[in-house]
Amino acid sequence: MFNVRNALLAGTIALGAMLSACGSSGGDSSSGGKEVKISFLHWRGEDVEALNKIIEKFQQQNPGIKVDMQTLPSDQYQTAAAAKLTDGSAGDVFASFPGAQFEALSKAGQFADLTGADFLGRFNADLIQPGVKDGKQLAVPYQLVYNDPIYNVKLFDKYGLTPPKDWEGFLALCETLKQNGVIPIAFAGADIGPGQFMNTMVMNNEPSEDIFEKVEAGEAKLTDEWWVKTLSQIKELNDKGYFQPDALGTKDAAAGALFIQEKAAMLASGSYQLAQNAKQNPGLEQKLLAPITVAAGEAKYEGVHTSTFLLGVNSRSKHPDEARKFLDFLSGKEIASEYANATGQNVTVKDVEYSTPELKVATEWSTRKTLFQPRFTIKNADNQKAVTGSIQAVLGGSSPEEAASEAQAAVDQNLVK
Amino acid sequence: MARKRTLLLFLLPGVLLYGFLFLYPTAAGLFYSFTDWDGLSPSFRFVGLDNYATSLESLVFQKAVFNNVKFMLAVVIAQSALSLGLALLLARNSRSSTALRALYFFPAILSSVSVGLIWSFVYDPGIGMLNASLRAAGLESWTRNWIGSKDIAIYSIAFVQVWAHAGQMMIVFIAGLQSIPAELYESARIEGGNRLQIFRRITWPLLAPSATIVVAYTTIQSFKAFDLIFVMTDGGPNHATEILSTYIYHTAFASYRFGLASAGSMLFLAVLGLLTYAQFKALRADRASY
Repeated sequence: MFNVRNALLAGTIALGAMLSACGSSGGDSSSGGKEVKISFLHWRGEDVEALNKIIEKFQQQNPGIKVDMQTLPSDQYQTAAAAKLTDGSAGDVFASFPGAQFEALSKAGQFADLTGADFLGRFNADLIQPGVKDGKQLAVPYQLVYNDPIYNVKLFDKYGLTPPKDWEGFLALCETLKQNGVIPIAFAGADIGPGQFMNTMVMNNEPSEDIFEKVEAGEAKLTDEWWVKTLSQIKELNDKGYFQPDALGTKDAAAGALFIQEKAAMLASGSYQLAQNAKQNPGLEQKLLAPITVAAGEAKYEGVHTSTFLLGVNSRSKHPDEARKFLDFLSGKEIASEYANATGQNVTVKDVEYSTPELKVATEWSTRKTLFQPRFTIKNADNQKAVTGSIQAVLGGSSPEEAASEAQAAVDQNLVK
Repeated sequence: MARKRTLLLFLLPGVLLYGFLFLYPTAAGLFYSFTDWDGLSPSFRFVGLDNYATSLESLVFQKAVFNNVKFMLAVVIAQSALSLGLALLLARNSRSSTALRALYFFPAILSSVSVGLIWSFVYDPGIGMLNASLRAAGLESWTRNWIGSKDIAIYSIAFVQVWAHAGQMMIVFIAGLQSIPAELYESARIEGGNRLQIFRRITWPLLAPSATIVVAYTTIQSFKAFDLIFVMTDGGPNHATEILSTYIYHTAFASYRFGLASAGSMLFLAVLGLLTYAQFKALRADRASY
């Protein structure tokens, strides 16, 4: 006699088996329980080769621990990493962006508390502050980036130019370059440009570490003079032809190409791009320059820095001790030096020796007065988009007042929630 | 009775899969749309209809709906007309027609991400092939900031969508055209009908089922055109190409507001359902039989 209940059960089991077979096989692969496998999740695909060598060393020193590195493209990291971290399928050690992602992950209790760990002492204490939440060190920013535009030293020398000290000087410099047929600033208006360039443009118009926090709290407005002035100055650069034509349609790769091919004298990005540029044009001589948007005597900051690639231990990890051990290993001076010199990224670990010219360029900035990247102090991603969107709006023809007002309206909608 | 049960059992795998992969996520989405879940935290609060109110009041959501309608109209009109035109030209099973059909169908087999990347370079104002070709042809005044201008970016992407899928829809129309009995055309010609009359009185009414499929599929496809927009503009500049699917994505995965994104998804589902129903009703009225 046919039994419907049994058939249903069999069908469910079969479906379950089929779906399990389709699922990913993350987690501990050790069968004997002696070898522990930890997962290291991050977005820096370009660092895989260097990190594989470091992981090999770690595994030699710690024979019972195997590190399985997984990378996701940075633009998909926000999406895919969250899912992997919450279901515990990956990321015993994982990286996070500062700002909105760190906020969301820490609010969800995704980070194990690292406060008091010995290895924290090997980092520059100021530079790992972005990994602190409510007095607890939840993650350690590993990379140090200066988000100041890059300039072509040889082109500057050719036209007798030096980094200007005020806004008038910056405009004059751009004009000289333009008159000589050189694009003054390669600007990726379609993607990263607004988010990068806004930092140095706003740092002296409102020299405050928490101005965007005030905006998000409703204590300051984007329609205030400092942001409208910032938008006006960006618009002025665009209207005077100091960005390449149609900058708003230009993506990161195309803007980078203009600089690498020496058609543009400045690239509105940051120190993270130096090594890549040098790889593609070894003849390039590069330095960093931040536009000073006020009169010389009024400038408080010389540039902008970000400590990023925040490494943390997953609070849901089954192997927190091994994960901490890996973080401890990464924070060693020699290992951090190896990572930095192999990847071309400056690090937040103290006393690291840099060997490449590009890393040394960024190191020169360590003694300067720099502000933590203002964009990353915007905790709500919608607000961040409203702010960068207002830059795109002025480049698209809106007046600074209109653009600021539209952005403030979007921020206001998030205020009441 | 036992036979009926056995027959019902054959439906079980399909029903289970449909339930697990569609009904359950939809029900879960509906549930979360009444919460403030951030997608990460183990806990959440019920917020009633707040997320729906927030979505409807949101300037970005409103922009996304407006852009979606613009995008849909541009794609549905252009893609349906182009695919019908191509089908009429290539319906005969000659060697050249078959080769051309394959050629026009080819973009449909490319991944949308590849298509988006290729066209991003074509549209690039500095190094892009489109502006360079226009300049080379002496048409400097025709050059545009194709995906950087808030006024035309959405249409530039709509063009790519049509380029990628017109060949696919052409096949549907060709199938419809080839199922129309030749005798109808023959008798129409004997009675002195000209080409336009034959198209209006025979071809178009009998193509209604194919047109229904094309228009419904194109509408849904244009509402869901996430990947092209994500790759080409990510909704920018300043939300000028933001559509509902990118709005939902950004709300969920960049802002970590899964509850709000779920409410957006439910509204999206309702809009799609209504549109599809309206289209089926409208096109069903045009159907003819023989």
